[in-house]
Amino acid sequence: MEELTRDIDGVESLQKKVHKIETKIDELQDDTNRKPKHNFKYFEFKGNASEYFRIWIVNIALTILTLGIYSAWAKVRSNRYIYANTYLNGSNFEYNADPIRILIGRIVVVSLYALFLLFTQYMLMPKVAGSIAFIAFIAMPWLVRQAVGFKLRNTSYRNVPFRYEGKVSSFYGFFILHFFLNIITFMLIFPYSYVKFKKLILNNSHYGDGDFKFSGGTGDAYAIYIQIFVWSTLLVFGVVLFFGFIGAGVGAVFGDMFTSFKSLIGPEIVPMLVGAGVFLFYIPFIFWNKGFTDGYFSNFVREKTTLNNAPLKGEIKPFKLGVISATNALAIFFSLGLLFPWAQIRYLKYKLEHTAFACEDYDQFESHGYVTGSTVGEEMVDFFDIDIGL
Amino acid sequence: MLIEALLYDGKSSKEHKVTLDFTFGRRVKIDSHGIDVALEDIIIESRLGNTPRVIEFPNGVRCKSAENDKLDQVLLDFNLNKSKTHKIESSLVLTLGSVFLTIGFVWFMLTGGANYTANFLANILPQSSLNEMSELTLKKLDENLLEESNLTKIQHNIIQAHFKKLANGDSRYKLHFRSAPEIGPNAFALPSGDIVLTDQLVALSRDKEYRDILGVLAHEKGHVVEKHSLRMAIKTGIASVIIGYVTGDISIIASTVPTILVNSSYSRDFEREADAHAVKEMKKMGVSTIYMAELFESLSKKYESLENNSTVGSLMSSHPLTSERIEYFKSHAN
Repeated sequence: MEELTRDIDGVESLQKKVHKIETKIDELQDDTNRKPKHNFKYFEFKGNASEYFRIWIVNIALTILTLGIYSAWAKVRSNRYIYANTYLNGSNFEYNADPIRILIGRIVVVSLYALFLLFTQYMLMPKVAGSIAFIAFIAMPWLVRQAVGFKLRNTSYRNVPFRYEGKVSSFYGFFILHFFLNIITFMLIFPYSYVKFKKLILNNSHYGDGDFKFSGGTGDAYAIYIQIFVWSTLLVFGVVLFFGFIGAGVGAVFGDMFTSFKSLIGPEIVPMLVGAGVFLFYIPFIFWNKGFTDGYFSNFVREKTTLNNAPLKGEIKPFKLGVISATNALAIFFSLGLLFPWAQIRYLKYKLEHTAFACEDYDQFESHGYVTGSTVGEEMVDFFDIDIGL
Repeated sequence: MLIEALLYDGKSSKEHKVTLDFTFGRRVKIDSHGIDVALEDIIIESRLGNTPRVIEFPNGVRCKSAENDKLDQVLLDFNLNKSKTHKIESSLVLTLGSVFLTIGFVWFMLTGGANYTANFLANILPQSSLNEMSELTLKKLDENLLEESNLTKIQHNIIQAHFKKLANGDSRYKLHFRSAPEIGPNAFALPSGDIVLTDQLVALSRDKEYRDILGVLAHEKGHVVEKHSLRMAIKTGIASVIIGYVTGDISIIASTVPTILVNSSYSRDFEREADAHAVKEMKKMGVSTIYMAELFESLSKKYESLENNSTVGSLMSSHPLTSERIEYFKSHAN
């Protein structure tokens, strides 16, 4: 009997132990379930080149027929197309800019530029032209601030617009300080300025009541610049070496033929060959480098940015983005511009589809409502092709 | 009509699946959200490809629906304004038309069209501004590149007499003698009518009466009459704007390479026009154009290494090939 009760006790204690182990296993499983913690979702781009081509070419034709006035509507239409085809977690983005406001901005910018040209080129009154340029220069930080605000407040997702709250005074502070710092250090401090600028932009950006935060460090930016420099140099060196070997090989085999050939065609063919070489290699290289750099920095900014602690992720392969950029440039050149919409979409699609965001709750953001503001800064930046990198 | 849509209330980023009911009483109802508004109070975004369209309700509510065909049907049924742009974009004929219109326009502007525009602008620009501009240009050239002329009194008088006949009493035209060791043998005209002649060009003359220089001056006068420098500036501007707009991203190369080609072909046309002007003036004054041909021959001897008959040369050089011009003046010599 005693033995039996002891056995039962034993069984009970065993059962308890088993239960303990089971709960432990459950806990562990919970932990492993939580381990990938972030549920990353990739951005999707659903637009296609033929649809976008039609929008683009009709935009240009209508702009020509209206002597440029339609260009404001054209800008809204092509941006709307790109935003509306960008999806995250099944919902798409919205572009809300008002074409009339864009038109006003454009008229202001173009008139200022025309006045400037008139005074410099035809009236030859450099003092007047100089003061226009000087005013534009002084207004630059304010205009950049405006352009950033324009881009954010006109973008919304699920009917909640983005917002920008950076102060004009911080922009003046930034540009004055970093203008001089870069002059003094011969641009060596540029990566530091880059990080500071990204902080100025992103740390003041909001999606509804959500806050963006950029935590990239200066060291990272320097590391990226060094990597870009090293890889680009190696690539150039490799290509030069490759062609050098081929050239030397050809020279050795056909040496005599080549010299007589040269005297036959005359010296003017040499600059032509050099020109062809530049076109075939150097120009694609510039565009490759542009995409390569963009790839590195886009990844960097994505990795270091969070929205209410939910992280973004960048998985762009810089080399591949460079190849896309270079082949795009060639396609645009050889199609006399007609492949521009195809190229634009190809580049954008690659970048978006290698960007992910891990948000636990897409419903959590409260809207601060839509606001309107000046468009001059945006149009100035647009007109002079200034890349503020958003 | 019932249309499936997603609703966002504008207060938060929550997404709700809803059904919009467009009733015959011209009202739009969303039962699940207690929305019942007049059709006139909502804004349906214009169609853009096959992207979901935003439907704006009062109070900041937005719905999005990808049922584009149904929405178009609603607009049609209720007689609401439909954007025509999508119609153009979805018509094969009209998009092809846009392609041809764009290509045609760009081609036209890069060839003849820029000419008309430039002529028009050149004609409405007041002469006083041209004078001011030329005065400043001449002043800058004097400061940097030009020196005082070393021609003899006799040379000076002969050439000045030619010029007086050429100007024919028009006070706009003024002749300036300068020495230009850096520029070399040359002559150029400013839009105001000021013409600069370098000693180095006079030194190349093989005619004691300087009838070849008369030809050069007539050529420069041609530039002034046709307002070439101004037209050139305007055309360059037009060309770069068009190329920049169309090519967008690759503007770096696209706007420089063709501008150079276009520019040099423009100025070659301008040189031909000025040459024709010179021939006309010389014939009027009874001077043979053979002197002009001879001057070009001595010029080309000086620059033999620079000019050749290769295609590259003829495409890139801004003056018509010297041999071409020599032939031209010879053919008019009789």
